[in-house]
Amino acid sequence: MRKLLLVKYGEIYLKGLNRPYFLKTLVARVREAVKDLHGVVWLHDARIFVSGVEDMDECVRRVTRVFGVHSVCPAVEMEKDDFEAVKAQALEVMRPYRGTFKVEARRSDKHFFLESPQINASIGEYVLENSEGRLTVDVKHPEHVLSVEVRDQVYLYADVIMAVGGMPVGTGGKAALLLSGGIDSPVAGYMIAKRGVELIAVHYYSFPYTGPQARQKVLDLAKILSSYVCGMRVYVVPFTEIQMDIHAKCPDDYTTLIMRRYMMRIAEIIARKEHCLALVTGESIGQVASQTMEALCTTDEVVNMPVFRPLIGFDKIDIIHQAEKIGTYETSCLPYEDCCTVFTPRHPATRPKMEKILEGEGKLESERLIAQAVANAEIIDL
Amino acid sequence: MIYLDNSATTRVCDQAVDVMSRCMRDMYFNPSASYEKAMAVKAEMERIRTEIAALVHCPGGRVVFTSGGTEADNLAILGALSGCREGRVLYSAGEHPAVKEACKALKGLRAESIPLLRDGTLNLEALSSMLSNDVLLIAVMQVNNETGAVMPLKEIAALRDRLCPDALFHVDGVQGFLRVPMDMKETGADSYALSSHKIHGPKGAGALVAGPRVRLHALLHGGGQEGDLRSGTENTPGILGMGEAIRAFPKENDMRRLKCLLWERLLGLVPGAVVNGPAPDAERSAPHILNVSLPPVRSETMQHALEGDGVLIGIGSACASNKQRISETLSSMGVGRKIAESALRFSLCPYTTEAEIETCAERAGAAYRFLSPYQRR
Repeated sequence: MRKLLLVKYGEIYLKGLNRPYFLKTLVARVREAVKDLHGVVWLHDARIFVSGVEDMDECVRRVTRVFGVHSVCPAVEMEKDDFEAVKAQALEVMRPYRGTFKVEARRSDKHFFLESPQINASIGEYVLENSEGRLTVDVKHPEHVLSVEVRDQVYLYADVIMAVGGMPVGTGGKAALLLSGGIDSPVAGYMIAKRGVELIAVHYYSFPYTGPQARQKVLDLAKILSSYVCGMRVYVVPFTEIQMDIHAKCPDDYTTLIMRRYMMRIAEIIARKEHCLALVTGESIGQVASQTMEALCTTDEVVNMPVFRPLIGFDKIDIIHQAEKIGTYETSCLPYEDCCTVFTPRHPATRPKMEKILEGEGKLESERLIAQAVANAEIIDL
Repeated sequence: MIYLDNSATTRVCDQAVDVMSRCMRDMYFNPSASYEKAMAVKAEMERIRTEIAALVHCPGGRVVFTSGGTEADNLAILGALSGCREGRVLYSAGEHPAVKEACKALKGLRAESIPLLRDGTLNLEALSSMLSNDVLLIAVMQVNNETGAVMPLKEIAALRDRLCPDALFHVDGVQGFLRVPMDMKETGADSYALSSHKIHGPKGAGALVAGPRVRLHALLHGGGQEGDLRSGTENTPGILGMGEAIRAFPKENDMRRLKCLLWERLLGLVPGAVVNGPAPDAERSAPHILNVSLPPVRSETMQHALEGDGVLIGIGSACASNKQRISETLSSMGVGRKIAESALRFSLCPYTTEAEIETCAERAGAAYRFLSPYQRR
């Protein structure tokens, strides 16, 4: 008998011939997540198992955050040949519970001497008789389900903890997230990463308009995100000179938009260097002036790779709820100014004209500014 | 690095470090123990107690060692008024949160704030109209931590004596102790809070000096240390370190001259510079704090720029500067939003040198020239 964590995966079930590839990646991700807990992780018979960890609660916390995991069950593994011992252990597993229950057997080993309904009946009867009145049977709407999986061994569990779902990171390509200190961009990153996408982050740093605390806040946000994706590289790009130049030479109502176009240009260069296939932003239609559809079109226009905006149809309140759920909200709310708000004009253009943008940009030494920003970017691996 | 944020905290002086180190290595005994070595520690603590009482002219007053200024203020306010169920407490609009929040925490009592004048000192006329017999306590700081305004303590006590003689008068001396003379007898203050880490002592140590009119009740219960007013084994390294820092504090120093020099230089480089607080050379201006706005450059921007150039300064009060809003002190003084948003606090210590002040002014001027054209329009 030994205690272990039985990990179930979700959407990977739908995969056909390439399922092994997805599974292999998922196992690798689970392994990375529990690496310093000294556990052993293996895949067997459509289940991933984690055993040997000292701190099971921490192990559960981490594995439920691995994209691709549907749910986890703290389980007990028993030898198949002693069915009496299995029954006794089943009673142990159910000891903390009160109310109604049923037994749900899954008999993957078709040679096992009992069939599923017989396993249900036999174990159910044993638990009922020995539970000293704490449990009664209800096969239709039970409060607790005791699962019995008969494979090479027998696995017993009654607790199913839901995980984040999604696809294992690394199976969906790689993208560069434009990460500010706000609420939206970390959520956007999370949503894209959940679909199996490996992320790097690009942050624009406007020292001295924003300071070391604002920079640390962004790194803290990246750190939270990286806990879901098993590590992330962050580029901190010095952006002050570009912002100052825009501020000095471009029309006031266009400064934010032109600044965003430079952010996209720089992000694309970094993305290509890092073999990313797309950019990710936290924009949502109409949230602020630079996120009207017209404005989004003008920022898209400067890049030659897809720009994913997973929050495009979200209300702010939904984004906030999601940020709370993934644990980035509190950090995002720290009050340090971020690069996007440093020079916000009072009346930014919401229906921008391309001629005016180009006229403004024509006054800047774009190539030099961009090359310099990319060259001086600081790289931090989290 | 040039450090001009001494109102946030100071570097611990070498003498204090040595004493603390000795205290932790060799004199680590519990002062409540009965053997000789412990009694020696206790005697040293008592010596510091007497010295502090003498320094603030409260001989025979009670000196309670605390974990710092915040606890001393809390003890003075909550500890003195814990039995009162009705009445009013008044505090100056520029008080540190340790005083303000403690006043607001008094159940059943009304906490009201006393407005400031344009120069940051207390509005005595307003205070006089607020005083009546139901006032239980008036809390006014000796020196405002943001502007350096020295409060008219004697005048406040005189008003108290005339209009509500039973009210207690608590003075938060965290920013004033040793830098501005304090005489509890002459000013009529009933209690005085001080902190060690603002005068080159260690953090985690402070004291409340309480005169004969104050009846204190303990906030922390336990072993009955500090005359049953502050239970918990005494922080002897902290207390001895504080004592040594007090002795080592250079009473004769050049802070006021250097502060005036800094202002002169800044005004020369930035003609639009504005002082928030009393004129730097005025008597009602503390020698070590200069609050200046260099509009339109915002406080944070200038602070970061100077940090990049190796000069550390403060904006607002360090204890509250993670809350991004206009400081209550400046708004009570009637300072406009634009000026308040560019307020900088330079705070000196006795070890600040003229060369540091010159360099700081020069770098602030250069940063101003670079940054001022690029501000939010």
